[in-house]
Amino acid sequence: MSKVMTMKEAIERYVHDGDFIFIGGYICRTPFSAIHEIIRQGKKDLTITRSNAADDFDMMIGAGVVKRFISTFLSLGVYGLGRCFRRSLEKGIPHKIEIEEYTNLSLPMMLLAGALGIPFIPVKDMVGSDLLNVRSFMGQNKYKLIDSPFDGSPVLLVPALNPDLAIIHVQQADEEGNAQVWGIEGDCKVGANASKKVIISCERLVSREVIGKDPSRTIVADFNVVAVVEEPFGAHPGYTPGFYDVDFAFGSMYQQASNSVEGFKEFLEEWVYGVEDRTAYIQHYIERFGYAQFKNLQADFDYSFPVSYAY
Amino acid sequence: MSEQTTDYIKPELMACCGAREIRDGDLVIVGTGFPTVAANIAKHIHAPRARLMQESGVYDAQPKRPALSVGDPCLNPGAAMIGSLVDIMGMFLQAGKVDVGFLSGSQVDKYGNINTTVIGDYHQPKSRLPGSGGANPIGLLARRILIIALHDRRRLAERVDFITTPGYIDGPGSREKWGLPGDCGPEVIITNKGVMRFDAETKEAYLASYHPGNTVEEILENTPWDLKVADDVHETEPPTSEELRVIREVLDPMRMITIYLKRGYV
Repeated sequence: MSKVMTMKEAIERYVHDGDFIFIGGYICRTPFSAIHEIIRQGKKDLTITRSNAADDFDMMIGAGVVKRFISTFLSLGVYGLGRCFRRSLEKGIPHKIEIEEYTNLSLPMMLLAGALGIPFIPVKDMVGSDLLNVRSFMGQNKYKLIDSPFDGSPVLLVPALNPDLAIIHVQQADEEGNAQVWGIEGDCKVGANASKKVIISCERLVSREVIGKDPSRTIVADFNVVAVVEEPFGAHPGYTPGFYDVDFAFGSMYQQASNSVEGFKEFLEEWVYGVEDRTAYIQHYIERFGYAQFKNLQADFDYSFPVSYAY
Repeated sequence: MSEQTTDYIKPELMACCGAREIRDGDLVIVGTGFPTVAANIAKHIHAPRARLMQESGVYDAQPKRPALSVGDPCLNPGAAMIGSLVDIMGMFLQAGKVDVGFLSGSQVDKYGNINTTVIGDYHQPKSRLPGSGGANPIGLLARRILIIALHDRRRLAERVDFITTPGYIDGPGSREKWGLPGDCGPEVIITNKGVMRFDAETKEAYLASYHPGNTVEEILENTPWDLKVADDVHETEPPTSEELRVIREVLDPMRMITIYLKRGYV
């Protein structure tokens, strides 16, 4: 059964106010098109999570769709700090989000626990730091410190996470949702498999036969997927290996714009509210910056050797 | 060492200081930005069998330009392995396989504790910083920690406002209390003015060398604790012409390292 639909339909149908959502990506394969659609549809009170957030989560916080953030990090890296994130926590603009803080070890491990169907998982980080001294909406359940039942040594336990929904962007998927990636994965596989439902956004829709030619690349199997959206250029201004590069100029433009509330609003007007979908977004990009700049983002080709699974 | 030169910029010197801490065969996990360049110099000069990894899932990348983040596209083609956070942070780092962690810190204190979370009160922040990312587990679980920081009374502290990444925490015995091996922890703080190392007994950072053009007096003035000075304190060895050649011709022909001049690495 085909689960192919538009991003508008997928977000309308499967993102509900108050949902807990894992949104994958690591500059690499950020599902920006889905994020813009969530903002356009004015979803609210979302709890969002993933390791190492950047301009994507900053924009959602600035747009006011986020209530809670299970976080490890939010920065725009080389462009600068996340201004919407800072305005929210420092000044309550547009409102102060609640933030529960972990690390790039403990959070993926919590998603792994969720994916494995176990209630909690021991981790070796966070001890001795002030991360143990701050608790937000997870309260006493942020972590537990116990003596190991095996040897009595101190062990930190963190709870499993099972988001209502995961949204990830991948290179290719079939129409039922078998999803394949290559390149930096971040926490996409554990995040998607920990979640109750998955929306797959992909650069290209391929047949089940193509998936079967290299099945080791599949990180999400079809049964948990509720929607598949073919969304070329869907991770821009992030990148997708083999498809297009990071758009440094655009990333920097966002950082500059988001330095002020007004600039941020203008950015949203132009790039989110002002375009109805990703196709219109690409069109606007080409009109604004020229086809040469768009073309320049496209990746070179340097194919790997084909693999054979035959016996 | 090959011949020395005075024709270099501070970020190049700092990168070389970092590179010299890396030994052949080390497994090195590098944080965002600066550390990647430094660690790659080591690979090209004296530690060809050192292997670098990024938390995002990359092992032994072969970048054609300096990686600007741990998720940079240039880390993908040519890497020996690309997996996930669970692979690198769990299977490699948490499992105890990583020798060196290379971090930069917004605020660093005399015990090598790093703050990348908040300046001021946590709940009413004066300045909200990004958070831990991979820094906390790297600081706790890699054996030797190298820290890059800016040298002034704001970036260095007697005690950080928030311990995001523990160094020696409250001093001798603190890491052991949390079940962490005592012989691991911060090894060096490389600043834009000098190099600090950690006293084996007190676990406090002391001044080991001052960079050419900087003085011990200037460093003491810009350090907000009673910084001890090594008996054999000396001038930092400037970059060799070979180190500079590697930086400029191999690792960073576009001279992206100059962005660190604007960030105060002068």
